Amino acid sequence: MGWVTAEAPRPAELSACVDCGLCLPHCPTYRLTGDETASPRGRIAAMRAVAGDLVPIDDAFEDMMSFCLQCRACEAACPSLVPFGRAMEGARAELTAQRPDPVRRTRHALLGRLVSTPVLLRLATRAIGLARRSGALRIVPSALRSSLAGMRDVPSTPPTIRGAVHLAQGEERGTAALLAGCVMDPWFGGVHEATIELLKRAGYRVVVPTTQTCCGALAAHDGDTRRARRLAVRNVRALQAVDLVISNAAGCSAHLKEYAEWAGDGGAILADRARDVTEVVAAAIADGRLPKLSMNRGAVAVQDPCHLRHAQRIVDAPRVIVAAAGYQPVDLTDDQCCGAAGLYSMLFPETSNELGENKAAQIRVTGSTVVASANPGCEMQVRAHLENWYSVAHPVELYWDAVRENETLGPGTDSRGE
Amino acid sequence: MIPFSRAQPVMASVWHVTLVRELKDLLGEERVLSDPLRRHVYGKDGGIRRGDVAVVTLPATVGEVAEIVRIAARHEIPVVPRGAGTGLAGGAVPTSPSVVVSLTRLTEIEVDTESRTAWVGAGVLNLDLSEHTAPFGLHFAPDPSSQAACTIGGNVANNSGGPHCLAEGSTVNHVLAVEMVNATGEVLMLGGDAPDPIGLDVRGIVVGSEGTLGIVTRALVKLTPNPPAARTLLAAYERVEDAAATVSGIIAAGIVPAALEMMDQPMTIAVERFVGAGFPTDAAAVLLAEVTGHPAAVTAEAELVRTVAESNHATQIRVAADQAERDLLWKGRKAAFGAVAQLAPDYYLHDTVVPRTKLVDVLVKVYEIADRYDLAIMNVFHAGDGNLHPLMAFDASEEGVLDRVHAAADEVARVCVEAGGSLSGEHGIGLEKRDLMPLVFSEVDLDAQARLVEAFDPNKLFNPDKVLPTGSRCFDLGRPIPEGTWI
Repeated sequence: MGWVTAEAPRPAELSACVDCGLCLPHCPTYRLTGDETASPRGRIAAMRAVAGDLVPIDDAFEDMMSFCLQCRACEAACPSLVPFGRAMEGARAELTAQRPDPVRRTRHALLGRLVSTPVLLRLATRAIGLARRSGALRIVPSALRSSLAGMRDVPSTPPTIRGAVHLAQGEERGTAALLAGCVMDPWFGGVHEATIELLKRAGYRVVVPTTQTCCGALAAHDGDTRRARRLAVRNVRALQAVDLVISNAAGCSAHLKEYAEWAGDGGAILADRARDVTEVVAAAIADGRLPKLSMNRGAVAVQDPCHLRHAQRIVDAPRVIVAAAGYQPVDLTDDQCCGAAGLYSMLFPETSNELGENKAAQIRVTGSTVVASANPGCEMQVRAHLENWYSVAHPVELYWDAVRENETLGPGTDSRGE
Repeated sequence: MIPFSRAQPVMASVWHVTLVRELKDLLGEERVLSDPLRRHVYGKDGGIRRGDVAVVTLPATVGEVAEIVRIAARHEIPVVPRGAGTGLAGGAVPTSPSVVVSLTRLTEIEVDTESRTAWVGAGVLNLDLSEHTAPFGLHFAPDPSSQAACTIGGNVANNSGGPHCLAEGSTVNHVLAVEMVNATGEVLMLGGDAPDPIGLDVRGIVVGSEGTLGIVTRALVKLTPNPPAARTLLAAYERVEDAAATVSGIIAAGIVPAALEMMDQPMTIAVERFVGAGFPTDAAAVLLAEVTGHPAAVTAEAELVRTVAESNHATQIRVAADQAERDLLWKGRKAAFGAVAQLAPDYYLHDTVVPRTKLVDVLVKVYEIADRYDLAIMNVFHAGDGNLHPLMAFDASEEGVLDRVHAAADEVARVCVEAGGSLSGEHGIGLEKRDLMPLVFSEVDLDAQARLVEAFDPNKLFNPDKVLPTGSRCFDLGRPIPEGTWI
């Protein structure tokens, strides 16, 4: 029967793999199981088998594809440059098309709508807040509960940044549109504040157009391709006529950079302008638009979100940023996925939990109680698996706190530029 | 990508059902894979052939491995051990429906820092072992290009080498003892921790036997102290002859570098595109040399290497400034094979040995053969020990191309053997080189090897049809390879 959708894994993507196996040690699910069928090479082999009409899209295929975290560590390790993440999104699209499943359909409908409808998300935020305070959270399913365990404390009616316009400080370099995101807006107000303040100081006029919506990454990863396209097209329309489109969630910035896939020519233009906030802030620190603070704040463990490090190959930027705040960045033992992986923590709680525990253990051995993480899902996962004396924050937040403190205390300790 | 010969046959026979049930009773549902898709996925390794898998097992203890062997023996179905499946000679490809025993879950490491040895599970990754022992200043010396992914079990099976085996020797020089499950499901201990164990050296026979004598589940390996200093040099040449002359010159000068590697121009271009390490893509040949040891000796030897390279008309000589640059250069070399996929979707990686002095003659012939068969070819060369890796890039979807590849590979092997070389440097014989064995061994030689296998495995339970061509044994009783088992 083969493939039926336009998103299906493409022949060129599948034939790029030469079966060398160098991806295997980088794959978290292969590391946990030792099983070829839980490895990137095995998954490619399965996609080829379907493409070659050797096997139908059956339970085994669905299990193999679903078990992938989509962390894309394999892509960064691949000497043949196989676009594995794209192929896996294609395979997920095929599952949706060929394996009608009420659970998946409900998940797409509920979660897809929730993350792309701010009003619903705000209602949900209030409900979660109430449930947490009253202890009613105990009655929600454990998979969902553990996913929410690492949530920040959020006010019951959080402010929004949508509609805001901020002028650049000093000489203006251009206009940056900020992606408000889904959970970033109500749950991570501190990250947005730091982002806006730093972008202003780096010379950007910052706009947050109200017509924008969720980036669509969760939908794309989950095979909800129609929604992913719809959301991408809406964002392309909402985020026009700016120089940069910036996200402070690594999963979203990675997805924006792949908009050519989801929203045609307009998507390609947006993708060209898309940046993760860490890139922009690190560049501003490098050329002296933002200060390097000389104060010693101790060590910070840097947790690399997969969609920052593997999907976008951004490794130095978060380290540059925390170093400019006065921290010593400390690397973790490895760069494997923390197990959050979007919806994964809800779909495979055991695997997610095992990876989360691994990551927490790696953070503990650094001896640092401050952790920098540039993605909301990772931040929540890491916090959920660590003791409450650890503080987890976005690198730009750590930096903004330091910059603000420095501005309040007055200059003297800082060394602007080189 | 390789077109599929056909779908896996649906294994609905009674014996298959019973076999799977017995294995699941032993290992549980999760660690026995019997659906057609998963069997298909295990039908291949890093090479280009595909075989038939009856069922896949993922044992976690030597006891479980022994029990799997007993069950398979009772069902008279072959057992094929598998590590990470990075082999290129088809060693882990079953030629008839077999029980695949994946050893990836045997991952225990017990280090004895005093004696500088470690008991290592067969499923431990080569590089993981060296990373594990790094805090003690020790590493496992054999470093195949696939070392980030390949397992110690696979290294033992293939007696693997690597760039640094020039000075340190291949796997057999680093294995003191192995724990092995034999054909009756008993666990043997071969070798020991003494440097010169008494009795027959069965350990030496098992290392490199490619899983045909039994299943190695653990190995006692020697650990090598990390060198206090290392320097990596890159030299570029306008002519391959000059690079080859440099290699001979270095050896003649009395230096045994830790590694001495050569890449030709097509290979360098592919590698540079992946790593961006600044490999000179306009050079006809690039030489990578590494000297290790005490800092003073390293400085002196590096200087000598530089002098030899200069006197052989090197157009550029670069010394890696720091560990990061060193790592980058080696990353380029070790990703060479995968990087080729940017040129064509499939590759055939050859592994032969030529005398160093004959390299240029052989290379000319290799280029000529590739030309005649209309195949893109590029070469990496463990220049120090004469181990040549011609690599043919092709697109398997092209009609008849595989026949051309195999014919060209055959000719290359013949040319190397005629020049006084050998069939395989380190990848093993497996399926790929099996039928070329008579080029280097007489009937008597092959018969002796076949008798040896028979002594361990009279019923040909373990990895049948590998290494020795059918007919090796006078009155061969081996099962013939089923028609159309692979493409």
